[in-house]
Amino acid sequence: MTELTINLTNAANQHFSFVIEKKLSAQGITGIFGPSGSGKTTLLRAIAGLNKNVQGEIVFNGKTLLNTSNNIFIEAEQRNIGLVFQNSRLFPHLSVYKNLMYAQKRGKRKTLNIDEIIALTELESLTNKQPNQLSSGEQQRVALARALLAEPQLLLLDEPLSALDQENTSKMLSLLIKVQQQLNIPMLYVSHSLAELQQTANNLMVIAQGKIIDYGNIHQVIHRLNQHHDGISISQQTSLALSIKQHDQEHGLTELELDTQQSLYMPMLSAKKYKTHDLLRCFIFASDISITLQEPCNSSIVNHLQGNITQINNPVSQQSKHSVLLAIKCAQQVFYSQISLMSYNKLKLKQGDNVFIQFKASAIKTLTNSSTLDNTIAKETLC
Amino acid sequence: MINADLTALFITLKMAAISTLILLLLGTPLAWWLAKMKSKIKVFFEAVIALPIILPPTVLGFYLLIAFAPQSHLGQLWLQLTGSQLAFSFSAIVIGSVLYSLPFVVQPLQRAFEQLGDHYLEAATMLGAKPLDRFFSIVLPMTKASFITAASLGFAHTVGEFGIVLMIGGNIPDQTRVLSIAIFDHVEAFEYAQAQTLSLSLLIASFVLLTLIYLLNHKKVSR
Repeated sequence: MTELTINLTNAANQHFSFVIEKKLSAQGITGIFGPSGSGKTTLLRAIAGLNKNVQGEIVFNGKTLLNTSNNIFIEAEQRNIGLVFQNSRLFPHLSVYKNLMYAQKRGKRKTLNIDEIIALTELESLTNKQPNQLSSGEQQRVALARALLAEPQLLLLDEPLSALDQENTSKMLSLLIKVQQQLNIPMLYVSHSLAELQQTANNLMVIAQGKIIDYGNIHQVIHRLNQHHDGISISQQTSLALSIKQHDQEHGLTELELDTQQSLYMPMLSAKKYKTHDLLRCFIFASDISITLQEPCNSSIVNHLQGNITQINNPVSQQSKHSVLLAIKCAQQVFYSQISLMSYNKLKLKQGDNVFIQFKASAIKTLTNSSTLDNTIAKETLC
Repeated sequence: MINADLTALFITLKMAAISTLILLLLGTPLAWWLAKMKSKIKVFFEAVIALPIILPPTVLGFYLLIAFAPQSHLGQLWLQLTGSQLAFSFSAIVIGSVLYSLPFVVQPLQRAFEQLGDHYLEAATMLGAKPLDRFFSIVLPMTKASFITAASLGFAHTVGEFGIVLMIGGNIPDQTRVLSIAIFDHVEAFEYAQAQTLSLSLLIASFVLLTLIYLLNHKKVSR
């Protein structure tokens, strides 16, 4: 059982009062999301032991790392916590291999095999290179491998993909998921990109102005954020994790299982990378889902589902005064649809109404498959 | 070169080598401390360390002479500890050299440490490296060129010293008579040939040393 207790204040911060209190089970990947300057990095650096200005208490797996009232401060190098920085910070005077050796030599457990980690992170062809000969994507892969080789009990990731292009972002996301599954190391992943966290995190913590404003299951928190407006506004969306049923080569579609009877279709994913029955993290923007009152049998749009309107948010936010957000429950899954105020009035929708939602195959997005991505989503961030 | 000149050369090299070693041992933590200092008193310490650059060596020499005198506290303490007097001794010219060359060692190191910043050190910390380990595995290799510059400048500057050594060393043959003083003695005695030999050797040696330093710095910049 991995458990992290945080009870922190930071008096040094003049912009807002930083007060973070949470006891969380840090299993799998915990995402920490918030706008720039919300205190995410302050929190991460406090857990790492690099920020000595914070007051309060941090306990990880029963071990007190910080307790300012008892004058306990475990030095960062003694905490056995790893950190992958935004910029890879590879040691420029050491080759890739020596950077990795640096970590392994100083690790306390020494159970990992360096060659296995090199293979896992696909660095075989790069070991003899110098850091300045690597692309930014390669540098971050080395930084990840290096952090892993110190065998930390907790791995912190501080915006690890923010310097990467779209292709490297999806490659690195897949790698992070693979590493987490194979090594089973708990991770705290800080990002201002909700899309990145949607693809990777099991749980999500949302921070704004130095306070936790939500914490819980990733999909549920994202759905709550659709309606949240205190300082945070996201691209409203339906967050899904669906099992892959089959790849339809003939039509170029991948079939996803919504429940035993119903399927969703999306542009075909690489069959090599995505196996049948794998769970796929994907999302549909609320603006990509439309509503009809009759079943759209003669439509070119491949996905349509029947459901009930469970919630109506009107108006949605300051930026979109003229649109309405609907929550529609289809089978066990809630979908979010954003429609214009005009359509809303025309269809005379109300809570409990039976409607059909429809969306194109291309409306289902995932970040780990770069071919299904367009530029705008890869760097989808806060408005 | 006559025998006395060889002795002077040997004393000069010994003084410069010992001073450089002390300068590195003393200057490194001092430069580190200044590089990391955020307080405004930093400029005060920087000014104190930089003083020898502009101060006439005779001023520093005069105060050191007073401090090293047998009746002074320091002179008394030295006498009790070592059994010999401090003023006009080899130890005195080493201490004088260290103080006089301190800025030439501290300044390049401080600049190097400031430029290095905390990024790589934090990364090393997060991999489990303790402070001394971080210094030897990250700071030293990454600022190697600055250490060579600092050591060379410190060494060269000590070799070229005249005023302080004369005032606190007293020009005692076989003990405190260094090359720069030997040249002065030759000129005073109208032995221009000997003065020429020593001067030219010092000139060439200093030129070669400085060229090497600039070559090294140039490489560091273009890398």
